Amino acid sequence: MASAAVPASLGRELSDPPSDGISNLRFSNHSDLLLVSSWDKSVRLYDASANVLRAEFMHGGPVLDCCFHDDSSGFSAAADNTVRRLLFASNKDDILGKHDAPVRCVEYSYAAGQLITGSWDKTLKCWDPRGASGQERTLVGTYPQPERVYSLSLVGHRLVVATAGRHVNIYDLRNMSQPEQRRESSLKYQTRCVRCYPNGTGYALSSVEGRVAMEFFDLSEASQAKKYAFKCHRKSEAGRDIVYPVNAIAFHPVYGTFATGGCDGYVNVWDGNNKKRLYQYSKYPTSIAALSFSRDGRLLAVASSYTFEEGLKPHEKDAIYIRGVNEIEVKPKPKVLPPA
Amino acid sequence: MSKPQSDPLLQAETTCGSLLYELQIIWDEVGENETDRDRMLFELEQECLEVYRRKVDHANRNRAQLRQAIADCEAELAAICSAMGERPVHTRQSDPNAGSLKEEHARILPQLEEMRKRKSERRNQFIEILEQIQVISMEIYGPREYIPAVVDETDLSLRKLEDLHKQLQALQIEKSNRLKQVQEHLYTLNSLCSVLGLDFKQTINEIHPSLGESEGNNSVSNDTIQRLAVAIQELREVKLQRMQKLQDLATSMLELWNLMDTPIEEQQMFQNVTCNIAASEHEITEANTLSVDFIQCVEAEVSRLEELKSSKMKELVLKKRTELEEICRKTHLVPEADSAVEYAVEAIESGTVDPACVLEQIEVQIAQVKEEALSRKEILEKVEKWLGACDEESWLEEYNRDDNRYNAGRGAHLTLKRAEKARALVNKIPAMVDALTSKTLAWEKEKGIQFTYDGIRLLSMLEEYNILREEKEQERRRQRDLKKLQGQMIAEQEALYGSKPSPSKPQSVKKGPRMSTGGAASRRTDKVDDGVSLSSARRGLDIAGVPAKKYSFGAGSTRDIEPPPLARQPFSPITSKVSSNSNMANGKDELNIQSEKLQRTVSLNNMPFSTPSKTAAILVDEENRTPKTMPIPVPSTPSTVSVPMKMVMTPAHPPSSVVPLRGGELVQEIEYSFEERRLGFVLH
Repeated sequence: MASAAVPASLGRELSDPPSDGISNLRFSNHSDLLLVSSWDKSVRLYDASANVLRAEFMHGGPVLDCCFHDDSSGFSAAADNTVRRLLFASNKDDILGKHDAPVRCVEYSYAAGQLITGSWDKTLKCWDPRGASGQERTLVGTYPQPERVYSLSLVGHRLVVATAGRHVNIYDLRNMSQPEQRRESSLKYQTRCVRCYPNGTGYALSSVEGRVAMEFFDLSEASQAKKYAFKCHRKSEAGRDIVYPVNAIAFHPVYGTFATGGCDGYVNVWDGNNKKRLYQYSKYPTSIAALSFSRDGRLLAVASSYTFEEGLKPHEKDAIYIRGVNEIEVKPKPKVLPPA
Repeated sequence: MSKPQSDPLLQAETTCGSLLYELQIIWDEVGENETDRDRMLFELEQECLEVYRRKVDHANRNRAQLRQAIADCEAELAAICSAMGERPVHTRQSDPNAGSLKEEHARILPQLEEMRKRKSERRNQFIEILEQIQVISMEIYGPREYIPAVVDETDLSLRKLEDLHKQLQALQIEKSNRLKQVQEHLYTLNSLCSVLGLDFKQTINEIHPSLGESEGNNSVSNDTIQRLAVAIQELREVKLQRMQKLQDLATSMLELWNLMDTPIEEQQMFQNVTCNIAASEHEITEANTLSVDFIQCVEAEVSRLEELKSSKMKELVLKKRTELEEICRKTHLVPEADSAVEYAVEAIESGTVDPACVLEQIEVQIAQVKEEALSRKEILEKVEKWLGACDEESWLEEYNRDDNRYNAGRGAHLTLKRAEKARALVNKIPAMVDALTSKTLAWEKEKGIQFTYDGIRLLSMLEEYNILREEKEQERRRQRDLKKLQGQMIAEQEALYGSKPSPSKPQSVKKGPRMSTGGAASRRTDKVDDGVSLSSARRGLDIAGVPAKKYSFGAGSTRDIEPPPLARQPFSPITSKVSSNSNMANGKDELNIQSEKLQRTVSLNNMPFSTPSKTAAILVDEENRTPKTMPIPVPSTPSTVSVPMKMVMTPAHPPSSVVPLRGGELVQEIEYSFEERRLGFVLH
């Protein structure tokens, strides 16, 4: 359990964490189950409230991403090029299909009833998980990307894909033959993470240079005028800015505000509409690798796990913290208009 | 002068007489003379005659008129009767006692009236019928065939009427037949339109507007009927065409389903198409089964399946190619480079090569290779056994060099057993090689082509092995002789100096610390022909295990003596460095001489007996030199059947690095994410 050295202000540490880096973690849409993928080649299912490990799936290589289908099954993307379906009750997994290179991202679209994976083989693949296993039956389509896929995010029928080389493709899941929009990231440095706003109007994109861009889908002048970028996860030291990659973005399901996690070990909560930072949590032992809000927004799972940004070096042990979320930390504070 | 009479004539005469008497009186009075009296009386009579004549003429004329009238009536009556085809009713001749003319006339008039009336009635009947006929024949034959409804006055007979009746009936029957025909045609058209998905009302309206009315009289003209027939013919042709097209599409669809194992649910949707695949024209009667929309729908599905197939084709081609390569690999054949197949992926994507064609080629190749594989099977099995035996041989040689092998340790008994088996096996090798050679020769003779093993002719391999083995044998013998010689020399020395040199001849030292592997190396040199020089050769050329051999014994005799002096410095630390350095010199010399041989043996990159030299070299290197990155990892046990030189792994290039982003430094060249670097993932 939580070591004495860990202050309670970080949240409750999850017991039985993975033995190596954490690549991603996600809360279920229906309960407080938490799915965690790790570099120790495992995917673990926890009951976050009960702090209990419920299932564990071993893979052939480090697992780079995971997502829920529902409370009985989920999917994983691994560095052994496989996309797997995980069945929680039986603790069994089967291979849904393969890419030609490590699979970096996986997302399940409820709107389309399809699974979407992005890989370093520069393709996006859509799978229909209802069929029998075997790539011939489940693969719906393969869509070439300009570069290796680094991150992807879904909202409604929209899919945003961020690749190496700062490319961003926006798709409509109903017509995957062509991207709806082809964009270049507004930020000058490598994209780390992309997440769509819950209200479906746009997406947030973070880079390795301590910056986040807020973008909008609508290409009209009015909407594009609203886009902006802000600096975050930086430290001023001796007159210079030390700049940290922003690894994770998570939107609060109720308030639409969002949290970012960086290699500086901090989690910040932002109000995108009012362009303010709402809160900064206490510093975590090492880089923040992943963040996830629970379905009601009352819990925040924080993966404190070194993300290899400085190569191989000794680091704090990898841990997952579950912290309760107070309204004051996430509720937007509209601008107070000056009295007339 | 006439005398007065008693009857009316008498009356008249009386009157006339009285008048005459009176006249006489008058004359008497007047005194007219006789001649004047006679003349006046004559005039009187003449005038009276005139009046009589006039009256008689008048009555005559009347009588004539009456007769004429009667004759006229009779004529008319006769005419009417003849026109009406009846027997004359009345003739004067037939009734001589007709009576007076007036009676006759009075009798004949009503008859005439009667006949006239009847004629008129009959005429009306005719007119009626003729009009009907006219109507119907206009309906049937169109206005061009106008038959004027003119009554032939001369023939109003019943027979004619009947004829006309018959005509009318005939026309009516004709009309009803045509109506039936039209109905039939309409029915057929309706079913055709329904099948083809056409608008029936519109179609028939185009042919003739009257056909569209449900209650109205349908046109039955020749024209209409012909047009209906033509329309039916056309639609039938269309139906046949579409049916053919649909059946073709259904066939393609079935083929594509078959090829791609389409799930049943998808197939069900088009069940109604495929069930008709062999139907004949009249069997297809469901509405809209041949409509344009439906056919387009099926076409779209077929083209979708074709697209799916072509996208799968690429996968299929790659799969097949992998299969081909796998089969080749298993049977140790080098797959023929085929330009079309080589660039299959790019070619298919750019559309220059038909994937089905490429697939076929690959299939053919696969079939060929499978056949070949079958014929090669026996020989390959023998080759495997032989190579396995060679491995055991090399293991055995190494084992024999191991000074500790008789030390009781874990598994010592197992290795002892293995050594036993290995020795037995090694003895069988020559026989194996001979048998293999003869079999290969026979095979080659039969097939007319060389038997290759991973690209190298098997017979060459066997030949090389034999030659090397012989040379090994010769070298062994030579060393034995040398030892004898050495023994003699030692004995001489002993005799000369009175002391025995150290009993440990470095060459013969089997046990001892690893450092003496320098000596062991030279001992190895004795047995296995310059393990050290080999290592230098390898170092120099970085070739996997090329045995450099001493060529002739004549020339070698001087060299034979060279190593011994080295070996005979028992107390000088025989570090392999020293020995290997000198040996390196040797090796280099030998190398130069053997360059030819080397060239030849370069190709023997998968010689099993290269392993011992490899091992030797590596041992030397391990102990005494800075380890270099060897392309092949150090095997502690003899490697399995060796890998051709071509497949030597090159060390992985360090990724062109991205400077970790601190303080805003820019990326260089290919960027990699943290995860990629952590995994060591590189783009090729």
